[in-house]
Amino acid sequence: MAAAATAAEVSIPLGSGDNSMWADVSLLLEDACSGLRDGELIHGDNFDLYAAMSALEIMDPKMDSGMIGKYYSVDEAIECGAAPIPISFDKTVDVQCSIDIMDHLLACEATWHKGHSLAQTVFSCIYILRPERTTRHALLHSYCRTTRATCKAVISVVSDARTHEEEDLFTTTYGLNLNGEDEKCLSILNAVEETISRKLRACRTSSSGIKSLEDIEPLQNNPALEDGYCRAILERLRFRKHFYHILMCLKRPHGRGMQLARKHIASCIVELKAISRPLRQQTIIKDRITSPGCQPIGFDSSLNTRLSASTPPRSINILSWNETIEYFLKLLQDLDIISSCSLDNSLEGILSFIVQFQKCQPDLVARAHLQCLLLQDRKLFGRDTIFSVIAKAAGLSEVAKNNEIENLECIVQLGQLVMNLLRILCTNSAWQRRKLGKILQDWRVIYIQLELAIRNKLGEDSVHTNENIYINSLKQILLWVEEQAYWIASRFLTLGFELELYSSNEYGMVYWYIYVVSVKLAEKIHHRMTINNRVKCRGKKKKVSGNDVPRDFQFPPAVLFLQSHICLAEGLAMMLAALKNEKTALEGRTPFNTDQERFSQLFELLQKAGFPDHISYQSFEGSTRDVTFSTLAMYNHFKDAQRIAKEVKSSFSGERERLSELRMIEQVAEHNSIAMTLLCRVGGSLDPSLKLSFEFSHHPHFATAVVRRSL
Amino acid sequence: MEAGVSGEGDEKVDFELPEIKYVCYGGEHHLPLIMSLVDQELSEPYSIFTYRYFVYLWPQLSFLAFHKEKCVGTVVCKMGEHRSTVRGYIAMLVVIKPYRGKGIATELVSRSIRVMQESGCDEVALEAEVTNKGALALYGRLGFIRAKRLFRYYLNGVDAFRLKLLFPQPQIHPTLLQAAQENSIQISSETSKESH
Repeated sequence: MAAAATAAEVSIPLGSGDNSMWADVSLLLEDACSGLRDGELIHGDNFDLYAAMSALEIMDPKMDSGMIGKYYSVDEAIECGAAPIPISFDKTVDVQCSIDIMDHLLACEATWHKGHSLAQTVFSCIYILRPERTTRHALLHSYCRTTRATCKAVISVVSDARTHEEEDLFTTTYGLNLNGEDEKCLSILNAVEETISRKLRACRTSSSGIKSLEDIEPLQNNPALEDGYCRAILERLRFRKHFYHILMCLKRPHGRGMQLARKHIASCIVELKAISRPLRQQTIIKDRITSPGCQPIGFDSSLNTRLSASTPPRSINILSWNETIEYFLKLLQDLDIISSCSLDNSLEGILSFIVQFQKCQPDLVARAHLQCLLLQDRKLFGRDTIFSVIAKAAGLSEVAKNNEIENLECIVQLGQLVMNLLRILCTNSAWQRRKLGKILQDWRVIYIQLELAIRNKLGEDSVHTNENIYINSLKQILLWVEEQAYWIASRFLTLGFELELYSSNEYGMVYWYIYVVSVKLAEKIHHRMTINNRVKCRGKKKKVSGNDVPRDFQFPPAVLFLQSHICLAEGLAMMLAALKNEKTALEGRTPFNTDQERFSQLFELLQKAGFPDHISYQSFEGSTRDVTFSTLAMYNHFKDAQRIAKEVKSSFSGERERLSELRMIEQVAEHNSIAMTLLCRVGGSLDPSLKLSFEFSHHPHFATAVVRRSL
Repeated sequence: MEAGVSGEGDEKVDFELPEIKYVCYGGEHHLPLIMSLVDQELSEPYSIFTYRYFVYLWPQLSFLAFHKEKCVGTVVCKMGEHRSTVRGYIAMLVVIKPYRGKGIATELVSRSIRVMQESGCDEVALEAEVTNKGALALYGRLGFIRAKRLFRYYLNGVDAFRLKLLFPQPQIHPTLLQAAQENSIQISSETSKESH
């Protein structure tokens, strides 16, 4: 390169408080430009793809966000009147604009929750950035302070939950200051609420002709609009107040604040619905917020561009008013579900609760709250040690629980795994599935370590009664670990359907694997229940609970429940295998690889962990290679599934989710049984005017075979 | 990264497939063609450094499709070591709207994949928006599976799938493997008869 030209040092005045020195490098740049010919590229060890993609072309508005910024700094924006205080000297306009700002802030907050940076959303509001400026404007000040405190509380929960690995933009505040925000904001808010309530009362008494004793200054100038504006503001202040209370209640340890949280949630929803209802003023406001290019006063998302991220941020769209209301409504409903979680649940019950909760696709803030409720101070609900939770789940007797098992290294690690599992189950399903697959290897390691611990103890010479209990407890835990691993494997597989990870030509392999895993899971559950029952019967009292105690020569309902799934999975696997085998050899062939490669990719993590062991593509091929429609006609798995589901329903009366699941199983089984009978009759080859597809119309992961007339 | 290959489009150009010429990246003169196609059709802005990174280091993996002197499609790729495997990566795939739905994108991608396979790659990967049905169908037909779902991968909040194609590994016949194991355990010399 040419010798570096000297760079003249120039100090360019910037916004106050900026200590950077600027140097003019135009000559240097010119030299650099002539130093490289067209088509030449600088090579460097650290100039990798990431560096290349982070490079930006100066003055290209798609990449150089400085090109679209209006003000250089917040101070400049303020000096130019971008955030006036008061907003207007006309009180009616001032109130209207305040409402605009409050509503836009709410939309920004929802946008932030949905995954955008704080800097481009809530902190794009100058009034929020400089709270000390609004002290003279009580309404804005109280609203902004409470919003800041709320943001701080939400960041705190999400940080504690440590789910932000998956959504890392959320908790980064980029140096934006949230210090000093706490519950004091509520007293300020309450004072403003009280003032405006008085104004509303005054306006109502004067309009009904009664002269009020107090001389209360109206909120704004137009008497006809006074009632509406007062109410609009009160609704918004109360929404903020209740929302903050919800967060504070849910933070309380041991789930103590849950009942109160539900009350605040109910009030919050009332206020939210009121805010969203179009009053005369609301229509004007809604138009102003949602009309393109029309921003309320005091917002500029380009102000924080240098704080927002390491590379200039692309511009984002703030949620519309309807989306905002929808978001907060859903958040409140999800928080309500969380607040209704029973604190007496067993681990199995909690796992079931989380799985059920995840079906409504809760967002990050709700999921973080669930995780923080479940795990506080490394204890379940901040109350039960993980060992006691595991001991209960594995069915250990009270005597066994007092043994020194708790301090065994592998048991301590098992506790870690269980806590980790709970955390993972609270994350978004895409990230969750990846993690579930990965942790299976950790569960395999623990299993091996437990086996070793048992073997070591058995190898010792003296075996006291206590040692017997010790060994038996370890054996029970070992069984439980295996069962839990199969539960994880099963969830890993079924989540793939919800995430649309499987294409229809892979369903056959997936259902086959689900069948194999479910058989193992059912085996382990049954084994555990049998042993637990023996353990219980040894004790003085014989506890009889409907679901756990097997009647003579009958499987426990929990096992039968799974059995209906097993039949359904097997039926689908065989039906799909028959369809594939009946097709001509060339159909469905891919140019670069075969089903074997796809099998190993789909189930790589399960195979690595060995849940189950000795399962390979060859096992799958062996089970399905010779299936045809004539062999299929000999045994109807779907009819079995239907029958079992129907029979076991009575054991779950009162358990809404189990019953709903069984109903869905019955429907899928019935439809598939009919489809299969039809296919067997025509030997698998349908009339060309008919088309067969597999749809998830009755169940999220068991497909229904649908035969339609093709148009 | 991205693929613009969905079949819907209003005006289609009439052409016969043999009229399409496929050319491997041949130099700087191809770069503006690639850049203008990608700029036009894909939403993410890339700097010129990004393009040059790919086409300079792996020119043999990028292809262009021409119809009568006009560039109508391109694929841009890379390959390299990824953990313990050698992995090909498809960064950009574009076919302009009037030419979609005729297999040009499939041909572009296939050519690149073939070079990757010959160059020793164990697998090929890419990301595609979950809503990009065209791309998902295309890659599905080539044998890719959806290995992962990436939550809110794109800036507009849309999720992505990580698609992966695994090439067949050279297989050792299972009985030979078993025999080798038995050989290493047994001291005596009576093993070889069991392997066949």
